[in-house]
Amino acid sequence: MEQDALTFRDVSAGYKHRKVLDHLSFSVREGEFVSLVGPNGCGKSTLLKTAAALLKPHSGVVELFGQDVHRIKPALRASLLGVVPQKIESPMAFTVNQIVMNGRISSMSRWGTMSPHDHDLVERSMIYTDVLGLRDRYFTELSGGEQQRVALAMVLAQDPKIIMLDESISHLDINHRQEVLQILMNLNREKRMTILLVSHDLTLSASISDRFLLMDSGRLVKAGTPGEVLEPDVLSRVYSCDLSVQQDPYTGYLQVSGAVDGLHRRRKLNRSVHVIAGGGSGIELYRRLIIEGYEVTTGVLNRLDSDAEAARALNIAAVLEQPFSPVGTEAIADALKMIDMADSVILTPVPIGSGNLVNLELAEEALKRGKTVLLASDMADRDYTEGKAALQLVSRLERDGALGWHTIHELMLKLQQHSHR
Amino acid sequence: MGMKDSVFCADNSFTGKGLLKARLRIVLFFCAVLLLLALSMLLGPSGIGIPDLHSPSGSAILSLRFSRLLMGMMTGAALSASGVVFQALLRNPLAEPYVLGVSGGAGLGATLSILAGSGIFVSLGLPVVAFIAAVVTLMVVYGIASQGSSGHPSVYSLILSGVIVSSICSSVIMFLVSTASVEGMHNVIWWMLGSLQPVSSSQQLLSAALIFGALGGIWLLSPRLNALALGREMAHYQGLHADLVLVAGLLCATLLAATAVSLSGMIGFVGLIVPHVMRAFFGPDNRKLVPFAALGGGTFLVVCDALARTLIAPIEIPVGVVTALAGGPFFLIILQRRMKQAWIA
Repeated sequence: MEQDALTFRDVSAGYKHRKVLDHLSFSVREGEFVSLVGPNGCGKSTLLKTAAALLKPHSGVVELFGQDVHRIKPALRASLLGVVPQKIESPMAFTVNQIVMNGRISSMSRWGTMSPHDHDLVERSMIYTDVLGLRDRYFTELSGGEQQRVALAMVLAQDPKIIMLDESISHLDINHRQEVLQILMNLNREKRMTILLVSHDLTLSASISDRFLLMDSGRLVKAGTPGEVLEPDVLSRVYSCDLSVQQDPYTGYLQVSGAVDGLHRRRKLNRSVHVIAGGGSGIELYRRLIIEGYEVTTGVLNRLDSDAEAARALNIAAVLEQPFSPVGTEAIADALKMIDMADSVILTPVPIGSGNLVNLELAEEALKRGKTVLLASDMADRDYTEGKAALQLVSRLERDGALGWHTIHELMLKLQQHSHR
Repeated sequence: MGMKDSVFCADNSFTGKGLLKARLRIVLFFCAVLLLLALSMLLGPSGIGIPDLHSPSGSAILSLRFSRLLMGMMTGAALSASGVVFQALLRNPLAEPYVLGVSGGAGLGATLSILAGSGIFVSLGLPVVAFIAAVVTLMVVYGIASQGSSGHPSVYSLILSGVIVSSICSSVIMFLVSTASVEGMHNVIWWMLGSLQPVSSSQQLLSAALIFGALGGIWLLSPRLNALALGREMAHYQGLHADLVLVAGLLCATLLAATAVSLSGMIGFVGLIVPHVMRAFFGPDNRKLVPFAALGGGTFLVVCDALARTLIAPIEIPVGVVTALAGGPFFLIILQRRMKQAWIA
């Protein structure tokens, strides 16, 4: 029976003022080859740091082979778990051999001497990673890919049972990437070494991994075989872009690619959208709409609002009102002109109070004039009006045919559907 | 397999030729050290050569020269080894023993002690005041740096707060000096330039004990310093108590610097340049670098002192002037040719 090599039990972790991992639970069995994937900033590196006891969880327990990782002595931990970081830097003129010897540091004697066994491990890991020929070169003078192989050799010299690689193979050329992956697979099969690979190359990971862990915003979205995790719906939602998954006809491996009508067919859509935003809720949406090729207008916004600043920076036509004042009739008339020009009107998740309730009324007017209206969901959390006026207005709008949206990806899909109608 | 083997294996010395070259370099280094130390015993304001040992003044001169040699060895070794540790821990080629405000703090303590002229400062003695002030300054700097980064000060916050605290200390020193009497000003400036005038034998003994203790501590840490050269995270992954090594290293290095300052004032340059030159010759492996830098730094300071007291005798040039003025160009030439072996960034 194989035991769990690495277990997260309801772990929340991160930095002093920022929680990154949010009640994460999973385990990796001994001898598994697992890929950890997810968009930038979703917490993959934080997960590795927490697993290696560099970060202490705010709550929950991380276990290495059944022991709380924070109670394991550092030297023992290094013999269980090795981490290959994204990049290592050595400012001084250490040779490759000296760098790789650092992998044995925790088993050196007090005086820094190494046993013959230590020397053998250093030599073997250099042979394995094909850096023996570089042993007398200065580490800093090597190319990025060579440095990565040296880093791997150093971690292999620790002789760990689990290796975690933090996007360590993305800098390698295609030849050495295949080679390093081959090394990892051999270690995995022959020595039953457990491997946790953080990777952005979903296709490559699919061809080598037993299992995938898909993360988003500090949570585990899905865990399972490549086939179970690499589903277009799930991936498109997590990465918020269109992705397709196909099976390679020759190898049978899954291939993930961006939708073909993505980049090169993109041009002016001749579709225009009016965005009702405020308080910074529109910035990401402006960016996406412009990238997708929409004509964007926005308002009514207060001057100095961060959305107003963003609109000015992005050259978006906007109706503005004085700071901290209720929206006046003139501004409303201007906004209605813009809405008349637009095909669709989007309401962002902006908090609604008595001062900007008029923006919701604009949306109602747009619906009456036959525009597609898309409302951000969960109004109840953002309604600061007296007597929940905003909530009532929203339910009336929804009854009259306004659509709801949760994520920007979902919103983009709905916009597309309605522009083809 | 003993210490010796592994030390040599660590060098670029897998070919017989490389090994031979490295060994030859070490032998040459030891010969040079012995030769220079002997030479410096022959130099003094009373003339060049061995003084007449049968006359009381002759033997007094020789014993004075010997005690200055001891002072120089202790101060130079402490500063240079301290520089090695600071450069390794802070991963910064500009790091030196005074980078965390040791000189500023000690200087302020000494200035107060000299200018106050009476009261508690004098009863403690200048060296003790300087030492205590240096250690207190380190604690302040470490405390400030830890504040912003949840208990684990980053290298940059350490360097920055060190520089800031140093600047504050030097401003206060300037202010005190500018309002002091001419004689007080002269004394302070002389102290700051540094001198290897022998201190009391009890202080020498105490300092020697401190320096040997701290050097031993650093040598024990030295294999771990190698791992820290790749950064604290990597050292942690490799099974070190990285923060413990960092704090212990900083403590030992500051202890060395503070002891050196209390012995001989603020002698600059040694702690910055000697580690670089030694690294250029013997590589960055701290297990070798610490003892070699200690020996090299001590010898360098002894030679500088011999020159300082001989060049325009009977006037004695402050040794801090000679270290940079004479040593600077010499080391520049070496580093220009061998910088690659020392530091690549």
